[in-house]
Amino acid sequence: MSGFAPTTLGFRTGHLGLVEVGSGEPVGYIHGMLGNPGEHAFLTALADSGHRVIAPSLPGFTGSSEPEGLRSLHDWVVAASEMIDIAGLTGLPVVASSVGAMVALELAAIRPEAFSSLVLIAPFGLWDPDEPVADPFATTLSVQRRMITADPTASSSFFDDPSDLPADVLVEHGVDRYLTRTATAQLIWPIPEFGITDRLHRVTAPVTLIHGAQDQIIPASYLDRWAAALPNVVGTHVVEGAGHQAEFDRPDDVAALVVAARS
Amino acid sequence: MKSIFFHLMPYPDLPDDFPEKHRSVWVEIDPELYDPEVGHQTYNEYLDELEFAAKCGFDAVGINEHHSNGYGLMPSPNIIAAALSRNVPDTNIVVLGDSVALYNPPLRVAEEIAMLDAITGGRMVAGFPVGSPMDTIFAYGQNPATLRERYHEGVDLIRQAWTSDEVFSFNGKYNKLRYVNVWPRPVQEPHPPIWIPGGGSVDTWDWCAQEDLVYCYLSYFGYKAGLKTMQGFWKKVQEFGKETNPFQGGFAQFIAVADTEAEAWDLYREPAEYFFNTCLHVYAGYADPPGYKTPNTVRAGVEGMVERAAREATARQEAGKAAGGGIGSKNRLTFEDMVEKGYIILGDPTQVTEQVHELATSMNIGHLMVFSHFGNMSKDLVRYNTEMYATKVMPEVSGLFEDEWEDKWWPQPMEAPVGRDVPEMGDAGARQ
Repeated sequence: MSGFAPTTLGFRTGHLGLVEVGSGEPVGYIHGMLGNPGEHAFLTALADSGHRVIAPSLPGFTGSSEPEGLRSLHDWVVAASEMIDIAGLTGLPVVASSVGAMVALELAAIRPEAFSSLVLIAPFGLWDPDEPVADPFATTLSVQRRMITADPTASSSFFDDPSDLPADVLVEHGVDRYLTRTATAQLIWPIPEFGITDRLHRVTAPVTLIHGAQDQIIPASYLDRWAAALPNVVGTHVVEGAGHQAEFDRPDDVAALVVAARS
Repeated sequence: MKSIFFHLMPYPDLPDDFPEKHRSVWVEIDPELYDPEVGHQTYNEYLDELEFAAKCGFDAVGINEHHSNGYGLMPSPNIIAAALSRNVPDTNIVVLGDSVALYNPPLRVAEEIAMLDAITGGRMVAGFPVGSPMDTIFAYGQNPATLRERYHEGVDLIRQAWTSDEVFSFNGKYNKLRYVNVWPRPVQEPHPPIWIPGGGSVDTWDWCAQEDLVYCYLSYFGYKAGLKTMQGFWKKVQEFGKETNPFQGGFAQFIAVADTEAEAWDLYREPAEYFFNTCLHVYAGYADPPGYKTPNTVRAGVEGMVERAAREATARQEAGKAAGGGIGSKNRLTFEDMVEKGYIILGDPTQVTEQVHELATSMNIGHLMVFSHFGNMSKDLVRYNTEMYATKVMPEVSGLFEDEWEDKWWPQPMEAPVGRDVPEMGDAGARQ
């Protein structure tokens, strides 16, 4: 995360990290299990298409302080609700990925006006026992890395230690990465299904669904399950050559789909 | 120094090619490998071995808790303790221990240990481990991000339940109990001694030092490798300005003793290789779920004991696969390595005594958990190893620390506990 220098916003007793890229029509990005990537190619591609991209870090993830008092999904949704208000995302079109997409959906179910539209990349939240979601944590880090993106080098911003930092900073970099993984685990352990289908009728904003064809965590077939479960799906897209976090494998392609969904 | 005969209760009949054919002995162990007849035989043999150790004069017998685990057949240590409670009337029982966060509510632990303390007349030690990631996170589905907080809250609840003089309400984050009232109460006052088995978390050192709890490092890698961990704990004790009473420390050690060193090499090879190559064949992916470690432990770069076992086992399997290795290939740990590195203390009684002495004094350990059984050791060999330690080694080390230090963490039984008193049928003459 060398070069990752978010603005910090006060949040309860701690802070939230916030990255802003570009200028123009605002669009939000709620990151997935790889955390907030900073000025990543995906955000840059969105910015280059005339957007001001606003990307906050969820509590406990890279750039934000450790979460306190988040013991249930309800607590997380309340925190996310505060987060979008603080970061200025409320009422905007938002792209959300992976665990961030799950949180965004839960928030939209409670607060339908939270987002004007949603582009969701491989959300957690559904479970088919015949085709279960893989456990991304019963693995070594090297295997986990290959599960999150089709091209392991695409997740470099999260997994690789910058070589230009002193040893003590690198240690904290490792702790930060561990805490980001911990926050993901807290959200989706042990089975990432918390009854969301009973609440999805409340998600009235238009939703575009994107799924990496090579997603090793959530099978690509879940795209159809989400499309059937959500009341207002306006588009579905399978991205070839992309894994779970498709925006890391194919930043330009996914950005183009986001722009197309906006028009 | 107290010697505690400790049993892991491994399944003794896993196939020779297990490390090559299977990924893990823990969490995902193939259910088809379990034979109920072997299980029946094994539990009864192991209970016999624990009772025999008591008969040999060990200061205590020790047991622990594991789940979905081929080397630990004790999902409920309290059931094993109950089975032992009336059959080892002169020996203490160290339950090391109940994984508090897995009990809902943890009050169950307070009740069961109190029951055991009542049955035994106050001969219980209550151990409270956080539990390994395999047991807690994977086999029992606990959230790693909240496990430790849940664990500490559970221990707090148990301690309050044992010591409160009145019915009280417990409004925890994870446990909400309107009426807490442990009935029966433990015999020991204020409650059985609490020992904390640790695997290397630096925050556990802090906690045990601060709260005057026994810190037990249940390592499988022997005293040479365990020294750094115990030094870390004692350093914390000193930082809190407390005395380094060796009875506040515990350590586990595999011990293989025979009349001669040559005989020991001959007798213990197979069970040792079974334990270290088959029983510890754990997939590394289960060793470090995010959130299980505290940030301080991550920062300190401390590797947990099972994490190390799993990492090494997975590395050996991958190396073996790469080399096309099969059973007995060089990717397995050798008995010579185990002895040389101190995983196993081996030798004749004099040699073993010297090493146990060195272990106790170098690590400052007043409670030694002795693995006289390991792997797939036969009942006869367990009996031999147990008796050799009890008669030839234990007398030489039992006096260690006893004159200089008070063991404040040892059970305090009733002065005149009752035991078995089951009349013969037909002997009704005593009726008024």
